[in-house]
Amino acid sequence: MKKSAFTLSTVLAAALAFLWLGISVEASSEAGIEDLGLRVEGDQAKVTFRLTNAFDEDFERRIQSGLPTELTFRFVLERERKTWFDKSVARGSLQVIAMYNAVTSEYLVNFKQDGDLIESRVVREPADLRSAMTELEAFPIFSVAGRNPEELLQLRVRAELGTRMLLAFIPRTVATEWAHTDRFRLNDLPR
Amino acid sequence: MDLREQLLRHRKDTRFIFGGLTVLLGICGVLYYMLQRGRGVPAELAANKLLLFTLWYANLILILAILLVFVRSFFRLLLERQNRILGSKFKTKLVLTAVALSLIPVLILFPFATKLLLDSFEQWYSLPIQEVVEHGRDTAEFLTQQIQQNNQRAGCRVLDQVIGFDLESLDQQLALQRELIQLREELQVHYLAIFDGLEYIHGTADMSVGFRREPNFRGSTDFLEEAMREGSAWRIPEESLEVDGRLLLSACAGQRNLGLALDTEGPVKPTFTVVVTGTVLPRDIARKSRVLLEAHQAYLQLSVQREALQAVFLSILLMVTLLVMLAFSSIGMRLARRITAPIQALADGTRRISQGDLDYQVPSSVDDELGVLVDGFNSMTRELKRNRELVERQHRELVSSNRRQQAVFQNVAAGVLAIGSDSVVLSCNGAALDILSQREGDVVGHNIVDAWCDPERKRLADFLNEDFTAGGQIRRQLQLTIGGVWKTLEAKVTMFPDPAGLPGGRVLVLEDLTELIQAQKMATWNEVARRIAHEIKNPLTPIQLTAERLLRKHQQNDPQLGELLESGVATIVREVQSLKTMVDEFSRFARMPQPRPRNVELQPLFQELVRLHRGIKPGLELDWEVGPGAETVHFDPEQLRGVLMNLVDNAVAATEAPGHVQLRSKAQGRRVVVQVADSGKGIAAEDKEKVFLPYFSTKGRGSGLGLSIVHRIVTDHQAQIHVTDNEPQGTVFSLEVRRS
Repeated sequence: MKKSAFTLSTVLAAALAFLWLGISVEASSEAGIEDLGLRVEGDQAKVTFRLTNAFDEDFERRIQSGLPTELTFRFVLERERKTWFDKSVARGSLQVIAMYNAVTSEYLVNFKQDGDLIESRVVREPADLRSAMTELEAFPIFSVAGRNPEELLQLRVRAELGTRMLLAFIPRTVATEWAHTDRFRLNDLPR
Repeated sequence: MDLREQLLRHRKDTRFIFGGLTVLLGICGVLYYMLQRGRGVPAELAANKLLLFTLWYANLILILAILLVFVRSFFRLLLERQNRILGSKFKTKLVLTAVALSLIPVLILFPFATKLLLDSFEQWYSLPIQEVVEHGRDTAEFLTQQIQQNNQRAGCRVLDQVIGFDLESLDQQLALQRELIQLREELQVHYLAIFDGLEYIHGTADMSVGFRREPNFRGSTDFLEEAMREGSAWRIPEESLEVDGRLLLSACAGQRNLGLALDTEGPVKPTFTVVVTGTVLPRDIARKSRVLLEAHQAYLQLSVQREALQAVFLSILLMVTLLVMLAFSSIGMRLARRITAPIQALADGTRRISQGDLDYQVPSSVDDELGVLVDGFNSMTRELKRNRELVERQHRELVSSNRRQQAVFQNVAAGVLAIGSDSVVLSCNGAALDILSQREGDVVGHNIVDAWCDPERKRLADFLNEDFTAGGQIRRQLQLTIGGVWKTLEAKVTMFPDPAGLPGGRVLVLEDLTELIQAQKMATWNEVARRIAHEIKNPLTPIQLTAERLLRKHQQNDPQLGELLESGVATIVREVQSLKTMVDEFSRFARMPQPRPRNVELQPLFQELVRLHRGIKPGLELDWEVGPGAETVHFDPEQLRGVLMNLVDNAVAATEAPGHVQLRSKAQGRRVVVQVADSGKGIAAEDKEKVFLPYFSTKGRGSGLGLSIVHRIVTDHQAQIHVTDNEPQGTVFSLEVRRS
């Protein structure tokens, strides 16, 4: 019976390992978040940053193919805590989805915040598309209403660039490293 | 779990197997249907990340399920083998075979199917297709660019022509309208319109090229604004209801009030004249252009989703493979268990029955050949039980019989010893131990040579070690001094053959004749005394009478005394001579010489005897016959001659003419039987036992010692003599003597 228990635990361990393999995120070696900045306007915390080196050849080919091509930005606002599960204050996401219409030669760019469509934009030049997808200027991410202005916070941002196959059939998400601001107090942020 | 419960559970396996196969077929059918339908599904949906994750985890669950099934079965078999459960080895082989049979085809086919799938993918992205779609895209874009350039050139020329018109003047507008129609026809564009900034002034369209109504772009402010901002702009609007085809538009903007700014105060808002030119791409060409562009995009989609699509199809293939593996492995293992269950039940039954539990019946749950085997096994067990009961009953009877026989064996007056073929005493009764004056431990289990090593008993051992014919019987009288007591024993040995017919063991029956012989001797001496008295009395009476008569004559002075004396003396001498003869015979009987046996040829002896007796009785026929292998015997020649002479004398005396007396010999094993047969009156049955006793005679004359002497000579030679009736009449005396 001990052997059976051992075997069962081995199988479960293997299952968890495979599960982790599936849900773990692979870091992109080139893309990254730069010029990350945060300021407060009214009740909104607004983020500014640039995603660099995201438009590689594969990414551009995917856009040209007319497929919805998505960049997902994950935002995590953390406070100063020792335990990891108690750190997160707020989480948010912004999906930037681009679709190319070869007949009209136009790029439709949709912005979804936490799953809700907030803006659609049509651009015709690739440079405009790149700018629309990778440069965020004063984008409101969190409401800071009611939050202690003296609390020490930190913003972390990561961009998910797409999916890559491991062993030809195990999908893994490719993402940038987490970029983060310095620790700040709301009162200290530019307004 | 009880074996019966296992069997009942395996009966449910049939439902599981058919159910499993049905589910598998259903899943495969659904997958096939989905794949067939999936041809029309956009690649972006097929390569959806959620679908990929779903397939990946479905495969993961299947792999874990297979591992769990295999590991569980493996450990179960291992435990059964470690616990030495009957049938576990056979079950292991069967399960491994079933698993191998289900895995090997799948494992062989899976790489081939994968290779075929990957090759098929390669075909999708082969170079000719890529070139075709790219060239198509380039052609469509080139056509569009050419039209846009023409539109642009035409727009710029129209702008030069109309820039001087006062667009707010009604007269000028009429002139502008005529000018526009003329310019549209001259520049071969299908649509021409003038905007004052964003305000539509006038436009003209060639209704013959597919316009359903005159187009109006009053709502396209971004287009006009871009033209005013950038100087020019172009648009390829989606197909609209206004035109039967695709309208490609260009816009050129020119500022009209450059000079007025100097005469007015403050900044003057610039006024723009915007010329919009359009060319209609016929519907057929527009559709082809769209198809080319969309084909290129579709190819690009396939190209960029190649990895994901490949993963989807590989995952589906892997899922089907795993499903087949899981289904057939489970079914194979269950089938193996289903087959082994009755065999295991049989093995268990065999074990139980070998332990003596003949009441056990193997539960039967199948109606195939294994069921027949189980039924046969149960039938055999019942038969075995009946036979065992029969054997036990017979054994009880045999034991009872043995006890009775043992009681008889132990209480019989004769001593009985069973001796094995290796001369070891197997058993003996109390009488034998009494006769031999030995204890049971000294005899039973010992070789007779060791048990009877003293000189007296050794004679008994020597007698037993003589070469007997299998199944033969021999009887001999032995005088032994055992325990200081002189004993006369009648030893009878019977040899019984072993099952192969070879000489086996021997049974020795000993009868102590000492007392009987003593009694016989006493009786004989009584008889001898009576006979001697009688025989002596017979001559004494005439002697006494003769003497008394002579005395009386002498007293009477009888003149005939001398004559009477002579005759009386003669009578006395004769009777004394008779007494002397009788005494001589007694002496001879008492002083029998020591036999000196050696080889004796029978033929000359027979010839002499026949010659001596021939002619004594006219009409009496004498002859002889020597049988093969019976030419010589081992005997004292003189004594043998005396024996045969006596027997032939008796035969001749007993046979009246015409009669027949025959001397013959024949071989019998290692002995020779010498017979003297006559056709005389025979001997009465009650006299046959007495003929060898001294002084017994049926002739009414003689001493009656002849046959007694014969018997003594024969027994002194370790031989035997007996008398039987001759056929059709007469007597046969038979001597069994050793062959030389």
